Amino acid sequence: MVRRIGLIAVTVAAVVLAIVSVASAKPASHAAASAASCSNVKIGMQAPITGPAGSIGSDQLHWAEFYFTQWNKTHKPKITLVQEDTQLDPSKASTTAQALASNAAVMGVIGPAGSDEVQAVAPIFKKAGLAFASGSATRVSLTNGAWKGYFFRDVPNDGVQGPTDAAYMMSKLGVTKGSKVMVVDDQESYSTGLADIVQQTLSNAGVTVDRESVSQKATDFSSLIAKVDSSTKVVFLPFQIAAEAQLFAQQLQAQGKSAIPFGSDGTFDATNFTSNGAYISFFAPDVTTIPADASIVNLFHKQFPGATSPFGAPNYVLAQMYAAAITKACSDGKISRAEVRKDVLKVSLKSTILGGPIKLTANGDVAGAKFHIFKIENGKYVTVA
Amino acid sequence: MNWNLFVTELVSGITHGSVYALIALGYSMVYGILKLLNFAHGDIYMVGSFIGFGIIDVAGGATNLGIPVWLLLFIMLFCAMLGGGLLGVMIERFAYRRLRNAPRIAPLITALGVSFFLENGAQLVLGAQYRSYNSFSWRSPIALHGFTLPAQARISYAGVIVIIGTVVLVIGLTLFVQRTQLGKAMRATSFDREAASMMGIDVDQVIVATFFIGSALAGAAGVFNGIQYQQLWPYMGFTAGLYAFIAAVVGGIGSLPGAVLGGLTIGLAQAFSIGYISSTFSDAVVFAILIAVMIVRPSGLLGRAAVSKV
Repeated sequence: MVRRIGLIAVTVAAVVLAIVSVASAKPASHAAASAASCSNVKIGMQAPITGPAGSIGSDQLHWAEFYFTQWNKTHKPKITLVQEDTQLDPSKASTTAQALASNAAVMGVIGPAGSDEVQAVAPIFKKAGLAFASGSATRVSLTNGAWKGYFFRDVPNDGVQGPTDAAYMMSKLGVTKGSKVMVVDDQESYSTGLADIVQQTLSNAGVTVDRESVSQKATDFSSLIAKVDSSTKVVFLPFQIAAEAQLFAQQLQAQGKSAIPFGSDGTFDATNFTSNGAYISFFAPDVTTIPADASIVNLFHKQFPGATSPFGAPNYVLAQMYAAAITKACSDGKISRAEVRKDVLKVSLKSTILGGPIKLTANGDVAGAKFHIFKIENGKYVTVA
Repeated sequence: MNWNLFVTELVSGITHGSVYALIALGYSMVYGILKLLNFAHGDIYMVGSFIGFGIIDVAGGATNLGIPVWLLLFIMLFCAMLGGGLLGVMIERFAYRRLRNAPRIAPLITALGVSFFLENGAQLVLGAQYRSYNSFSWRSPIALHGFTLPAQARISYAGVIVIIGTVVLVIGLTLFVQRTQLGKAMRATSFDREAASMMGIDVDQVIVATFFIGSALAGAAGVFNGIQYQQLWPYMGFTAGLYAFIAAVVGGIGSLPGAVLGGLTIGLAQAFSIGYISSTFSDAVVFAILIAVMIVRPSGLLGRAAVSKV
């Protein structure tokens, strides 16, 4: 009896070992290397669908979904979106990236949203031969060449935004040598990186910078605002959550301070940041205010009723770029990750819903990208530069 | 010395500390009775805040209130406290009661599970986006207008309401615990649950009352936070709950005066560290205080050392 049990145990162990060996002998990178049929093409989507940045991530997901829904009505091959929730957490981004890399039908990825997340997933996607593209990660170093040929983005980077903001403060908002600017980051890498650039630019010009830092979850800024004195001309708020900048501006007003709030692209949200007289920079226009985009925005709202933020639309354009690359790759009826990767970097769109053309540089940045400055007047975002 | 900065930080610390104190009271009450760290408590505060927001919506929205502000505040507080209290009772009934005699780790894990359930449930039902009480835009903008204090520092009417409201609730709780029969039963149960049961005290009723009162205070804290700091979102309870938990531990978990003292200590430490050291290190200061208190007085500032019966 004992011998029989032992024999069964050995057999089971051998079968399990065999299965494990077969599975491990076929890693994700190899599994996806060969050409696949165009009948089952998938694009991965990494976004913070839940968690503190859930509203941003949901909007990003909706715009990509919207594009593919429209595409699938009239085009072939049909493209399916595989969504993965990162919660804006690099560790979750890594885990979900592994899942996408292992799915042989996934030919490219939209996302992740945050710069830290991009850094976390880059080695995984590179090993798997996957292209990946962010519509919101703006850290300069992401396109310094390390992920060349794999990572790209359709938004300008902070190397453009920081100097643009600092220059505008000095030319139009009365910031001069000897005056003071408070720079407050929200402790996330996007925010600290941008705050560093603005701080450096202003300091080089002889402006006194009071550098501060608050959590993304903070709601009480009164202790910090107490430090804003009469020589402080501008409070720069490179936050990722618009409502947080609104709250800061309101508390600034409640304490009777005259410093001008100046938000970055993370706070560009006409629903949640409406403080009269505040300034803001952004990498793209609010598509809901562009007359030429009205029909697309209406269709979008039919599929996804409710508010949309400016973080969403760049993901529509990324989906558009992937669709163009997949069409080209499928011209022979077969598709591979390498083909999509090569073709998507060559996609050139003469006009997009973002209000301009898209053509990528060799490192994956948008050629000639620029930031816009807006002033909030009675709740409306008015372009001033 | 910049007295304006000092007074402003003092006011900010007391206001924020008041909210922490109200949440910390619930932590301490439940721990005192059940020796349970109810990690879902911060999420009851979130639900209370959303109930207050719902009342604003029903009343016409922040910019178009159809009722006087004093009446709105009263209804918000009443509904948030009632809703928070009932939610606390439901959590106790369905999640914790069966685990009363289980090893301590079981209810602790359950509490974390309930916390995630409430957070994700709120996000599913209410959406992930940030909402705002926007009391800057009420027809009596209580967050915008206020009093001028010495050294030209300012305190908003909302800040005054938070501080006075907290004082009233803490006094009410103290009187309830000291003067009523149920309050005495709570103290007896906290001291020795088995002995209290043998003396004829309905322990179940005491536990339900404890959850109701502690959760009602968290609901009130949610409304106070909303009128003063505006924002609410489904995950707001985690951070506030964490700080309130630290406040309860610093004050001496299980001690009601300790919870209030701990809340104010944490609030003031945050405010003054931001004002005089750096906003970057305010959390480090708060946790340094926690560590220092744990080293010097492991039972907290006003806590009692546990006696082990051998």
